[in-house]
Amino acid sequence: MKHNKILSGLIIMLSAVVITSCSDSYLNVKPKGESLESNYYSTPAEAYAGLVAAYSALNTEAANSYANPLGPENSASDDCYTGGGGPSDMSQWQAMNDMNQLTPAQMPVDMWRVNFVGVKQSNLLLSKIDGVPGLSGADKARYTAEAKFLRAHYYFNLVVWFGNVPLFTTPQTTAQIYAAKQAKPAEVYAQIEQDLTEAIPDLPVTVPTSENGRATMGAAEALLGKVYLYEKKYTDAANILKDVNGTPGGTSRFGYHLLANYGDIFDPNNKFNAESIFEIEKTGSQNYDWWAWGQFKSNVYSLMTGPRGYARTGSSSTAPNFLSGWSFNPITPDLVDAMVKNGVYDPRYKYTVINLDSLVAAGQCTYAKDQCYAATGYFSYKWAPLKQYTSTVGNQVLNFDQDIIEIRLADTYLMEAEALVKSNTDLNRAQALIDAVRARVGLPSVPVNMANIKHERRMELATEGVRYFDLVRWGDAASVLNNMENGFSKHFTVGKNEVLPIPLSELTNTQMVQNPGY
Amino acid sequence: MKKILFFVLLFGLSLPMMAQITVQGTVKSSKDGSTLPGVSILQKGTTSGTVTDINGHYSFTVPNNATLVFSFVGFETREVTVNGRKTINILLKPTTVGLGEVVVVGYGTVKKSLVTGSISSVTSESIDNKPITRLDDALQGMTSGVTVAQSSGAPGSQPTIRIRGVTSINNSDPLYVVDGVVMNGGLEYLNPNDIASIEVLKDAASCAIYGARAANGVVLVTTKKGRANTPLQVHYNMQVGNQNVIKKVQLTNAMQYMQLRNEAVMNDGNAPVFSLAQINAAGAGTDWQNEIFSTAPYQSHNVSISGGSDNATYYVSAGYIDQKGIVEPSIAYDKKFSLTAKTTYKIGKYVTVGEYLGYTYRKNNTGLNTNSEFGGPLSSALNLDPLTPVYVGASVGTTYPQYALQAGNGMYYGISKYVGQEMTNPLAYLQTQLGNYGYSDNLVGNAYIDVHPIKGLTLKSQINVKKAYWGYKSFSPLYYLNANNNNTNMVVEYRYVNQNLSWNWDNTIEYTKDIGKHTFAVMLGTSALKTTGSGLNATYQGEPVTNYQDASFNFSLPTSQRIAGGYDNQPYAMSSMFGRLTYNYNQKYLFTGILRRDGSSKFGTNNHYGYFPSAQFGWVVNRENFFPKNKFLNNLKVRLSYGVVGNDMSLGNFQYESVISGGGSNNYVFGNDQLGVGYSTTSPANPNLKWEQTTSLDGGFDAILFNNSLSLTFDYYTKKTTGMLLQVQIPGFAGYTAEPWSNIGDLTNKGFEIDLGYNKTFGKDFRLSAHGNFAYNKNTVTYLGEGKTYLDGGATFQTASYPITRTAVGEPYGAFFGFQEMGVFHSQQEIDNYNKNGNLIQPNAKPGDFKWADLNGDGKIDQADRTFLGNPIPPYTYGITVNLGYKNWDFMVFGQGVWGNKIFQAYKRLDIITANYSIEAVNAWTIANPNSNYPRLSDNDPNNNFRYPSNFYLQNGAYFRIKTIQLGYSLPKRWMNVIGFKKARVYVNISNLFTITKYNGYDPEVGGSSYGIDRGIYPQSRTFLIGLNVGI
Repeated sequence: MKHNKILSGLIIMLSAVVITSCSDSYLNVKPKGESLESNYYSTPAEAYAGLVAAYSALNTEAANSYANPLGPENSASDDCYTGGGGPSDMSQWQAMNDMNQLTPAQMPVDMWRVNFVGVKQSNLLLSKIDGVPGLSGADKARYTAEAKFLRAHYYFNLVVWFGNVPLFTTPQTTAQIYAAKQAKPAEVYAQIEQDLTEAIPDLPVTVPTSENGRATMGAAEALLGKVYLYEKKYTDAANILKDVNGTPGGTSRFGYHLLANYGDIFDPNNKFNAESIFEIEKTGSQNYDWWAWGQFKSNVYSLMTGPRGYARTGSSSTAPNFLSGWSFNPITPDLVDAMVKNGVYDPRYKYTVINLDSLVAAGQCTYAKDQCYAATGYFSYKWAPLKQYTSTVGNQVLNFDQDIIEIRLADTYLMEAEALVKSNTDLNRAQALIDAVRARVGLPSVPVNMANIKHERRMELATEGVRYFDLVRWGDAASVLNNMENGFSKHFTVGKNEVLPIPLSELTNTQMVQNPGY
Repeated sequence: MKKILFFVLLFGLSLPMMAQITVQGTVKSSKDGSTLPGVSILQKGTTSGTVTDINGHYSFTVPNNATLVFSFVGFETREVTVNGRKTINILLKPTTVGLGEVVVVGYGTVKKSLVTGSISSVTSESIDNKPITRLDDALQGMTSGVTVAQSSGAPGSQPTIRIRGVTSINNSDPLYVVDGVVMNGGLEYLNPNDIASIEVLKDAASCAIYGARAANGVVLVTTKKGRANTPLQVHYNMQVGNQNVIKKVQLTNAMQYMQLRNEAVMNDGNAPVFSLAQINAAGAGTDWQNEIFSTAPYQSHNVSISGGSDNATYYVSAGYIDQKGIVEPSIAYDKKFSLTAKTTYKIGKYVTVGEYLGYTYRKNNTGLNTNSEFGGPLSSALNLDPLTPVYVGASVGTTYPQYALQAGNGMYYGISKYVGQEMTNPLAYLQTQLGNYGYSDNLVGNAYIDVHPIKGLTLKSQINVKKAYWGYKSFSPLYYLNANNNNTNMVVEYRYVNQNLSWNWDNTIEYTKDIGKHTFAVMLGTSALKTTGSGLNATYQGEPVTNYQDASFNFSLPTSQRIAGGYDNQPYAMSSMFGRLTYNYNQKYLFTGILRRDGSSKFGTNNHYGYFPSAQFGWVVNRENFFPKNKFLNNLKVRLSYGVVGNDMSLGNFQYESVISGGGSNNYVFGNDQLGVGYSTTSPANPNLKWEQTTSLDGGFDAILFNNSLSLTFDYYTKKTTGMLLQVQIPGFAGYTAEPWSNIGDLTNKGFEIDLGYNKTFGKDFRLSAHGNFAYNKNTVTYLGEGKTYLDGGATFQTASYPITRTAVGEPYGAFFGFQEMGVFHSQQEIDNYNKNGNLIQPNAKPGDFKWADLNGDGKIDQADRTFLGNPIPPYTYGITVNLGYKNWDFMVFGQGVWGNKIFQAYKRLDIITANYSIEAVNAWTIANPNSNYPRLSDNDPNNNFRYPSNFYLQNGAYFRIKTIQLGYSLPKRWMNVIGFKKARVYVNISNLFTITKYNGYDPEVGGSSYGIDRGIYPQSRTFLIGLNVGI
């Protein structure tokens, strides 16, 4: 009898398990801390989180490799070498320095990938924003304008760097991705113009401090002006940049004016200053360490430009208090010579270049020059890893907070001046614009012409990532880069290196066509 | 005894007409004459029986014409007719080839003679007494078709195990089942001393009972338990010894290094770095390898107590292993303490309950960064220049930065002026790792009930729980090792704690029935499992301490200096049903069929469930009437099996949906340093995701030859994996940061396996047994998606831009891939002669540069000239064990080897131009040494001699290693009687005595996550041990 009880108990038990085994609900577990795409974008807060994600690609310091665009941009220019710890340190950037090495396998692939992440996140938000319950009309209009501004920003980077890129304005299925073909550059430019034109009226003229970093009307107009300039639509460029710039030397309707002290522009204590039109904010507050690879929203590039093995000789040293860095993008003698004519220093020199060898000679500091590849003795100063800017928490190396100013007023002044000269329209205004830029640093007027504008742009914007594009745009890249004085020259091939190769990974199983010459 | 008496009485009453007689006697082994306790003795045709006592003695009352059946595990069963005798002494013969053994097959056991699948067994005899700290190590070289490669010689490291090759690009680790409990990793809790046997299910037909997780093979572990009707037994095992490094890598000394540095810069047209006077004064310099390697002690102790009455058994054991590592043994260690209890209890006639409880604590050092070319003591020792002294002196003035480290003797550690990046003075590095360790607490338990309500019917329900806590603790002092490795900001204390709970519940019902010569067995079962887990970590920065001993999370710090994080595991659930039908006719024609249905939460509703069938056939030829009686071939069984199994182990949860996740790279900064948390998709959806599927066909035979002395097992198999889960290499312009999974790839494994066993006693005193195994496996990737010939990516090394492996159709998984050098150009003439249509193929080459093969013949050297250079995974593996015994002496030698593979030497950091050179570089090409085939040294390396991954880095990976040699002596009986022990044996054991290999790195055994790529692997040690086994 006893065993019958046990037996029937067991059979009931077994049956219970069989029943639970069969039920689908046992297997339908729900994710923790994540949502399925179909359920998302159902509140205004979720729409805003989607907007943040659309911005996020602006500020990607590490993806496939270190991804701050200043690295490849400066490496490609005659302002800097790639440097680093050796000839294969950051080989993707080394290939920008010596474009003979630039191949589909060896190129800064993040320039491509990160911008397309931005495109995807912008498109995803734009496709969902109509259906977000509870989102106010004003917010919806502003988010839409911001997403369009961002999409234009990403596509402008892509078209300038790569020329021939696929153009997406909606989220793509996997099948659509594989079927996608490259658009003509003109089509991409047309989309950029359309996005910016549509965005401008819905963007705020100014934003409260708490919203610093979000797109404004001035930023969109400045970007559109830059786009027109690159398209050589000089009249359009001059017209819209005039609205951004206002009266040369004065304060524009967006509140922009040149700062009195050039050095203040790059000071992290002076973020979002009146000269900054579009600024990518970096934070030192997140305690990043190496586990956070791919997530850094701090400025890793700062540390990368610092000298290796750096130490001040004592606390009374007059040398700058740097954290030891990785010696990337040392300043070329070429730029130094351009800034120092006959012993006369351009006033911006001391905010741009640090002559470390002279400080070593003066016994103020030491650094491991033999571990610095392509060392020139000159280091970049605008983003230098000064200890005062290190975070008090987290890994010092990974928590610098110097912002990257994408577009600032001196740039838009000079761009407008260039557009005016090129279109040969209001030369008086052009003169006033270049004079204002020079006067700010105490330099006298020079006649406005392309040669002087070119020189002024190089002095004013050195190491800010625009030099290489200026050279390409002006058709000067080969003559300048292949004839650098002192130190090794670079190799720019006309008809090929104006754009980068399409990364090797993008050609597998896709309809992408490689750029000519690669 | 009471019970037996009862039986006897019962018997006596029911058969009053039969004359009764009390038989007594002793049962001994025919092998060594030792008495056998616990031998079961049954009166044939009845259920009455008894067992021998501790002295092998029995006494049993039976009818005077009864037949007694003596049976004992590991011995041949004997039947003896009483014929009125009162004393019957019996010699039992050990089963030479184990046909009577029982083999664990998953949810049940099968007699070895009836096994129809391809199953290898490893018994505790081949595990005991070896210095094995982990279960998986016990498999190395012991069975065919199982490749075991150490991922590191560091104490307690997990080896890489492949059963019949790489089955999947993703996860090829076998499924481990311990006492019926499916383990998801974390096997280090098992005390090797507790293992009774290990069975490896190799063919899909056998594995099908574990369905969706069995594609990579199944390892079934059975732990020891007490034996019924056995008096208390106490065993003590001890091993104590030392480990030493076997060999060092030949590097240049200080003088050679300086000469080569000069050579390198002068080849680039620069002035020499070192003057002749400096070179002559340099001497040998620092041998960093000498600094990091030391003798490391090893010890293990294990006590077990076991026994049983006729209705209960018990087994309790405690084990302790303390192993130091040969690299910086002052901090490298692995300690393990384990407790195990296993009991069974029989309630009444029909019900048995039992349980297993295990607890293991493990603590090990973790800071050595092994098998990485990016720093850590091994990598630094191989790459640091020999000029830097270990210590520079007690005073360094201002030449050293603040926080440069001082040794205990007050001397500062040398900091290299030449080699930076990740390479640091390894002794100084050690000082930064003192407070770091990992630990785990594992609690494993199961409880079961077995019911046998009627003859042939068994119901079983078993609940298994594994609760694991593990974590990590570290402390970073303020230190300065070099410009790239320093912490000059704040001390950091970090603690990471995780917990994981997995449970499963298995229920089976089995019925066996004999109808004439037909034997049927049907088993049906269900299984459900769920796992959950979570973790927390905390970082405290700037505690007011300077060393790890004083560090504590009790310090009050501002919140900005206290950082915390956490996670919840995504839940995972499985629900399964399975059945097995076994049939044999007269133990001659054998059949087993299995069907399992698995449901997994990893897949969307389109593919919740998968079905995994299999069929196995066996034919025992020698039981046919036509089989001639002969002394040559005693036993022959032919087997054929076919089965389908699945693999979901590599897939994460919720991969079938497009998931919106937040944070990390999706964030952005607004306002005054305010981090905005962004949410977006990371990969597109794939609702059709399903299992990887592996089907395999296996044919083989088991033969016993030469008067039962030689056993031979042969298997041939083909195994095809289809719908392999691959992350679709979605192009970057899709804008996703993660790649979606899809069922795309196919690959095959084909091979054969031979196992040989020989067992013979010569004369009275000399015993010989030998086991050998040999296996060949050919792995071929057959499909990677429409129009896709290879996968992007692959393993990388150093900072080179080309991967060094490629998974491509028609090649083995992860084959080495790169440029082909054809020796160096010995003259400008040779460079000029290397042209296509008059255009130089390598216009920038100089004499002494590599001549690269222009494989596509386009007249230039570029990425298209890369080719397949070899297989990292050995296709051939073999092992051999020989046991010799003479009187009280025993001797064992065990060797194991591989061939057919290559090893990529990634530890040479030739991208750090100032790194130390391998000794071969002394022979580098120069004008004065024009016949060398080692390329010229150059810092700029314009010809990419060192930057291109090429066959220059590859070496033959074949080796044969004498893994274990052991000589033991068992103390004679007469001494035993004096001290009252049942058994006492002392032995010496040498591990890794020698290795035959052409490989010139540390160790040709390179497993781990990048198999066959030597990034400065932690070498295995040569171990000398003295051991003791005592039985009371």
